[in-house]
Parts: sequence; structure tokens; C-alpha cells
Amino acid sequence: MKGFDDIQQLWQRQEPESSVSFETILKRVSGSKTAIAKKLFWQSVAIGVAVVVLLWMCVTVEFSTWTTYLALAIMIGCIGYYFVNQLRDYRKISKSHELLSKPQDYIDYLKTFKQRRNRFNTRNYAIYETCVAAAFAFYAIEMYFVLPFWTFIGFILFIVFWFLICHFIFMKQYINNENTRIQEMIDNLERIKSQFEEH
Amino acid sequence: MSNQRLLFQQLFDDNSKKVYHLCYGYTGDGDSANDLMQETFIKVWQNLDKFRNQSQLSTWIYRIAVNTCLSYLRTAKRRATDELNDNIIENYSEEPSEKQEQIALLYKSIAQLEENERIIITMVLDEVPYPEIAEVAGISEGNLRVKIHRIKHKLTEIYNRNERV
Repeated sequence: MKGFDDIQQLWQRQEPESSVSFETILKRVSGSKTAIAKKLFWQSVAIGVAVVVLLWMCVTVEFSTWTTYLALAIMIGCIGYYFVNQLRDYRKISKSHELLSKPQDYIDYLKTFKQRRNRFNTRNYAIYETCVAAAFAFYAIEMYFVLPFWTFIGFILFIVFWFLICHFIFMKQYINNENTRIQEMIDNLERIKSQFEEH
Repeated sequence: MSNQRLLFQQLFDDNSKKVYHLCYGYTGDGDSANDLMQETFIKVWQNLDKFRNQSQLSTWIYRIAVNTCLSYLRTAKRRATDELNDNIIENYSEEPSEKQEQIALLYKSIAQLEENERIIITMVLDEVPYPEIAEVAGISEGNLRVKIHRIKHKLTEIYNRNERV
């Protein structure tokens, strides 16, 4: 039969020590920075390539209607807008100083972040989607004059089908996954907070 | 060696053992505890310039460790306590001495406490001053004292019950 003092002595005599050294931490510090930097770098490269290709098309390909140039300009704007927002939110959540806050501050931060992301994924995404759809519609005007009729119909059907898939399946899944992830963090933090607070 | 690196090394030397204990007590698993400890100190390093002396450095580090442990829940919560307990026994299973068995039993007992109790008791066992624990937990010192009294009693009871089995 042991008392708490015996348990405390036992605790202080324990040997399981961390196998992590100071050097390992320093290595991981630079490693994690590199990983984030790499991810951002490749995202930026992908977007940059897309924008360059669109600009290149603007300059070198001679389109017959001005609507196609407008479509390309809208697409470049949409890609840029989406990328800047994704990048900003990604950097925001990656900054770990929010983790240093007290539980309630951290919970409040996550709730605000969730609301912001919801707004971005619903209202802002709808605007983005409308703009991209408008770009395709403008591009379709040129396609109408260039492509054989049934190929043109096939092109339109494919684009409509792709939009429906993105809107009703991919985007819903994306929003759902993101919400679940953030909500789970909030629930966990709220549960532990209530445990700390209860008398 | 830069000043920041020197300060970081000092912080690591002074606090790593306690942070590891906290993470181990919380997860009941040496590998996870190592991961969480690494994550904690990475955050410490990344935010060292943001520390504004609003509390003690050790309190600040504990706060990061606790939040890191809590965030860990999102991936690890699904693991049953039994599994945690098995891990604890496994971690100590290489020719366990009597003392090692007792420590394994202690971690097993800690794993049977609630999450917040695990966090508080590991700090108590490491003799972290009460005001510091209260600040980390975000509760008043009076409330904390009541809790500590209850958790000590609960842990002792669980430990002795496990010992009898």
C-alpha cells in the first residue's frame, strides 16, 4: 500500500528519458521549415506555370474573338485570387504562435478561422466559380466558330459536367473534411477546458 | 553559436525532462512522447522571439507542451486506453526490474486519469510550483489546490488497486 509521497519518490527515480537530443530538435527545426518552404515553392511554381501558359497563349495564339482574351484575363485573375487566399490561410494556420495562447483564446481563434474558411469556401468560392464559368462561356464563343457543332456540344457538356462534379462532390468533400478537422480540434480543446474549469 | 541558440539549448537542458514526462504521462507511449516533445521544442524555437516575459519561460514552455498534447488528441484519441496501457507495459518490458515495473504501473495508473488530471499530476509529480501549474491550466490557484488534492487521492487509489491485481 503506497501513499502519494511514495508515488512521487517513485516518479522522481524513473529512468525512461527522452531519446531526443538538442541536435535532433535543431535538425527538425530546419527540416520542418524546409518542408513548408518546399510545399509553398511547388504550389507557387504550379500557379506560376499556369499563369505563364495563359499569358503565353494571350500573346502567341491569335484568337479570333476578343471574348477569348477576356476569358484568359478572367482565368488569370481567378487563379491569382484563389492562390493568394489559399496561401494566406495556409500561412496563418501554420504560424504556431496561436498555439501559445490560453485555451479560450486558442478556441476563439480556431472558431474565427473556421468561419473565415467557411465564408471563403462557400460565398467566395461561388463568386470564383461564377467567374471561371463566365471565362469558359466567353471562350465557348470562339469555340463555337472554330469547332464542328457536335464537338462544340461535347465540349460544353464536358465543361458543365466537370463544374457539377466540382461543385456537388469535390467541393462538398473538401469543405466537409476541413470543417471536421477544425471542429475536432475545437471540441477537444473545449472538452479539456471544461475539465480544467469544473470544480 | 548565436545567442538565440544558446538560450534555446539552455531551455532545452532545463525543461526537456519535465516536458517529456508531461508528454509521456499524457500519451502513455514513449514514441509519441518523443514526437510531442520534439514538436513542443520546435514551437519554442520558432516563437522564442515572441516571448515577452508575461510569464516565466518554463510556464510558457509548459503551455506550448500542453497545447501540443491537446492537439495530438485529434489523431490519437481513437486509441483505446487499454492500448495505451499495453504500450506502457511494452515500453518497460525489456527485462523489467521491480522498480521499472512499479514505474510502468504508475504510468498505467496515470493513463486511467482524465486528460486534464494527467497534465496536472505530471507537473505536480515533477514539483512544478502551484502558481505555475495554475497559469498553465488557466485556472485559479484555489481551484487548482482542490483539484490536486482530489487527483492525488485518485491516483494513489488507482495505483494501489492496480498493484493488488
